[in-house]
Amino acid sequence: MIRIITSDRYNITPLRSFMTNIAALGAGILAISLIFLAAGVNPLYAVCQIFIESFGSIYGIKETITKAIPLILIGAGLTLAFRAKFWNIGAEGQLLMGAVFATWTAQHLGPALPPALIVPLIFTAGFIGGALWGIIPAILKIKYAINEVITTLMLNYICAEFLTMLIVGPWKGKTRFGFPGTDPLPDSAILGVLPGSRIHYVTLILAIICSVGLCVLIYKTRFGYEARVVGENPDAGKYAGIDFLKTSLILMAVSGGLAGLAGVGEVAGIHHYLGYPASVSSGYGFTAIIVAWLAKLNPLFAIASGLFFAGIIVGGDAIQISLGLPAATVEIVNGILLIFLIMGDYFLYNKIQICRSRA
Amino acid sequence: MKIKMSTLITGFVFLFAVFLAGCGEQEKPTQASKAPEKAAEQQEASTAEKRLKAGFIYVGPVGDYGWSHAHDLGKRHVESLYPWLETVIVESVAEADALRIMDRLVQQQKCDVIFTTSFGYMDNTVKAAEKYPDTKFMHCSGFKRTANLGTYFGDLYQMYYLNGMMAGALTQSNKLGYVAAFPIPELIRHINAYALGAKAVNPDATVDVKWIYAWYGPDKAKEAAEALIAEGCDALAFTEDTPAVVEVGQAHCKKGKQIYTFSHYSPMQAYGEDSVVSGQRMDWGGMYAEILKDVHEGTWDPSRDIWWLAKEKAAILGGSPDHAINPKFIAPLKQAMINTEQYGDISAYDLVMKRYEQMKQGVDVFDPFMGPVSDNKGESKIKEGERASKEDLLSMMYYVDNVKGEIPNSN
Repeated sequence: MIRIITSDRYNITPLRSFMTNIAALGAGILAISLIFLAAGVNPLYAVCQIFIESFGSIYGIKETITKAIPLILIGAGLTLAFRAKFWNIGAEGQLLMGAVFATWTAQHLGPALPPALIVPLIFTAGFIGGALWGIIPAILKIKYAINEVITTLMLNYICAEFLTMLIVGPWKGKTRFGFPGTDPLPDSAILGVLPGSRIHYVTLILAIICSVGLCVLIYKTRFGYEARVVGENPDAGKYAGIDFLKTSLILMAVSGGLAGLAGVGEVAGIHHYLGYPASVSSGYGFTAIIVAWLAKLNPLFAIASGLFFAGIIVGGDAIQISLGLPAATVEIVNGILLIFLIMGDYFLYNKIQICRSRA
Repeated sequence: MKIKMSTLITGFVFLFAVFLAGCGEQEKPTQASKAPEKAAEQQEASTAEKRLKAGFIYVGPVGDYGWSHAHDLGKRHVESLYPWLETVIVESVAEADALRIMDRLVQQQKCDVIFTTSFGYMDNTVKAAEKYPDTKFMHCSGFKRTANLGTYFGDLYQMYYLNGMMAGALTQSNKLGYVAAFPIPELIRHINAYALGAKAVNPDATVDVKWIYAWYGPDKAKEAAEALIAEGCDALAFTEDTPAVVEVGQAHCKKGKQIYTFSHYSPMQAYGEDSVVSGQRMDWGGMYAEILKDVHEGTWDPSRDIWWLAKEKAAILGGSPDHAINPKFIAPLKQAMINTEQYGDISAYDLVMKRYEQMKQGVDVFDPFMGPVSDNKGESKIKEGERASKEDLLSMMYYVDNVKGEIPNSN
């Protein structure tokens, strides 16, 4: 008779953690391969195409980095919130609010100011926008014990509708022939890109600085320690006199603020105007949840996992263009990878033994 | 016997490697069999006429049964028409991603022509056209043209007028409804044409509009249709990419309350045999055929704005491929008599058919937007004896006098 025994695992080394992720990804790709096989496409060819498209050419790498910028920013911010077990599902809304604040600032102050002044200003405005949208659920959770998963999720929709109201209403541009969307941002507020690409490098540098900074904040400062205690052992935190409200407010301001920065990058670096929520962000706030998770809640790793998921999105083009499969296949691939990554955690934290007992 | 976790992982990785290797072996013969095919193709290309590759970028899924579906039907039409044509499609492309997809279609797929089929792609198509001067771009519904970027569009306003005539003749309550996607000139034009058509046969008919702010939003469209019916409307036209409104109409018909609906873009009569009177259909096939033929023969001229209507057989009346008007409603339309200045007493059916024939002859023979037309605030918009110019139509932002309410945020 075969029995499966599970027990807690205590010696979790970084190497083991890394290997578990790799194994989970491998298993995920194996499952995806079955789907490709069912669709009549050679799975090896398909998986290779996805990675060749995203990492195998100069063009693919440039696009992957462009897509990775918002994912790294938001993903890094989410690691802080998730460390404190504050389940911020509202990064999408925080991104949009950042985009709204940045657009307002650029449209009102941009024409009069030089780029050296307006660019820091729009990033500040975007951070404030995202942070404000982020601290609302923090206050609701600590003061009134309202579940933050619900509030952050719902605030996404409120923000999306608010943005839509602005672009079909008071902010509708005169150059858009009645179509919803603001006029283009003034030239001074448009972020520079690396030649021959769409990489708005200011945001990219900001993303890397933020990831490193957050890493220091989480592991080297008193605040980071408090945030981790709040997440891992709230009772101990209470006895130690940690101010939960203050900690939550700061961490959600940072988490939301970084999402706001991502919104600034998208509007000022890519689109150059504020359009529909779906065209401002193609779901970065949600994809970044997976990014943070794959990074094992380490902001520094978010850079790598952000690039990885950007690669999957960009490589996903191959699924349609080279393989001729429907667009929905990309979503399926992403979903399966996430499920396998989460399942992988089970094997990381639990020791599984298969025993053959002689009855 | 105990098996360690690491053993499990190793075994797993091994299995995976075997699996990949197996696939790799599978790959070789297919590649080998492809190679001679390709050689043959190349030979054919060098001996026969030059080949063209066209890329199509759709904003929705091809299965949306509306806009993107109609474009895809057009694509399939040209694909079967021209042996020298090769096509590649990309569906559900967000505006934010359009430039990346165009880059790919040019750099990797080596497309000669790229069709971008949503207004929202305009700025990105302009950028791509600048970046790739040797590739030809066609942007649907836009207004920016350059040396290698043209525009094309097929408009349905004439069909909405004919639908309005039928709605006006059939309505019991004299209240017509319209479920509308976004307050942009195209939609305003369609609502106005629908209202003017109704007015031509029924001076008491008015139109109520509900905005749903979505091109694809079956849930919102259902809700809006139910709301209009609750307010007393019994004939509904719409602009939304699913048969949701038709299904609402059909459900009410089944319960014994006659609601007339007009199918939009794709033939939706099958979703509401008792409710769909007629509708608007768009045939992009003819347009794509002409554009690609011009490109192939070297007569393509991007400065020419392609704007096709009933005359070019782009806009077609009807809710099914077989009938312009659902046979179920032909008798009541023949019984509805209208007194007109032009033709004296004439049945609604005959008048609709007459107008349709005139539209097919050209806008100078008959057009819905002939003066006098005034807006619903009493201001004259098109003077007696004049016809709205294309610019007027493209920037139309007022309701004609029998549409109720105001255009949201039309500041």
